[in-house]
Amino acid sequence: MVMISAMASSPPSQLDAVFSALADPTRRAILSRLADGQATVNEIARPFEMSQPAVSKHLKVLEQAGLIERAVEAQRRPARLKAEAMADAVEWLTRFKAFWGDSFDQLDALLLTMNQTNDKDTDHG
Amino acid sequence: MADLPVYTIDRIFNAPRAVVWRAWTDPQLLAQWYGPGVDTIIHRFDLRPGGEWRNEMRWGDKSDLSKMVFEEVTPPEKLVWRHSSVDAEWNVASNPMMPDWPRTLLATVTFKELEARTGVRLTMTPIDASDAEIACFANAMAGMDKGWGSGFTVLEELLATL
Repeated sequence: MVMISAMASSPPSQLDAVFSALADPTRRAILSRLADGQATVNEIARPFEMSQPAVSKHLKVLEQAGLIERAVEAQRRPARLKAEAMADAVEWLTRFKAFWGDSFDQLDALLLTMNQTNDKDTDHG
Repeated sequence: MADLPVYTIDRIFNAPRAVVWRAWTDPQLLAQWYGPGVDTIIHRFDLRPGGEWRNEMRWGDKSDLSKMVFEEVTPPEKLVWRHSSVDAEWNVASNPMMPDWPRTLLATVTFKELEARTGVRLTMTPIDASDAEIACFANAMAGMDKGWGSGFTVLEELLATL
């Protein structure tokens, strides 16, 4: 399909990791939190009432999908959003989702002209 | 089989079923609407079980080929086909950009008469797929169906900050 060729930069296996990572609501919420700025495991865990190990596990999945990066130098290792990988996955899904919907819009328009042609045929027939 | 992920889209068209059926099964008409914002060229269209619909979409300097093999043709009620990505020789092939995306999806389209209008339901589900392909499609569908309604909004906001 058209959206497949339109994909750009991310390594293919990473895209599946991105889909998988984004399918989880907690991980989406973590990403949403990180969109407001980088945060430590502690800071992320607080509003979710989750244990730090549980948050760390989610962060690891997000990191492996290339959606976030962790600072290496600091002890606290704050997590930061890396939105490029997400942009590719969202574009992919948006295109897949839009394919039939947009085609159906075009079919709507075509059916309208076909109906008019039919009416004309009836008039003359 | 019951666990396979399914993509579903419903639409009601403001035209009688016979007209809608014709728009789906006359290649000259089909090429006019199939594929959003692209030039669609239908290289072969053999409307019978086992027959092929060879489709090319062109936009800019890009081209994308897909092959559909009809499994069921029941005018004016139902169409079923295997929907595959293909290489330049029309052989089923995974896309190099997305090796885990299912190479072949089973597409089922039903046409329901609603007085002068027509209800169309299209479903797509992986067929003859590897576990990796099924997982990839399932993750993508989970993203689309479950909670991405709001999730997408969040993501769009995030992307706007790039």
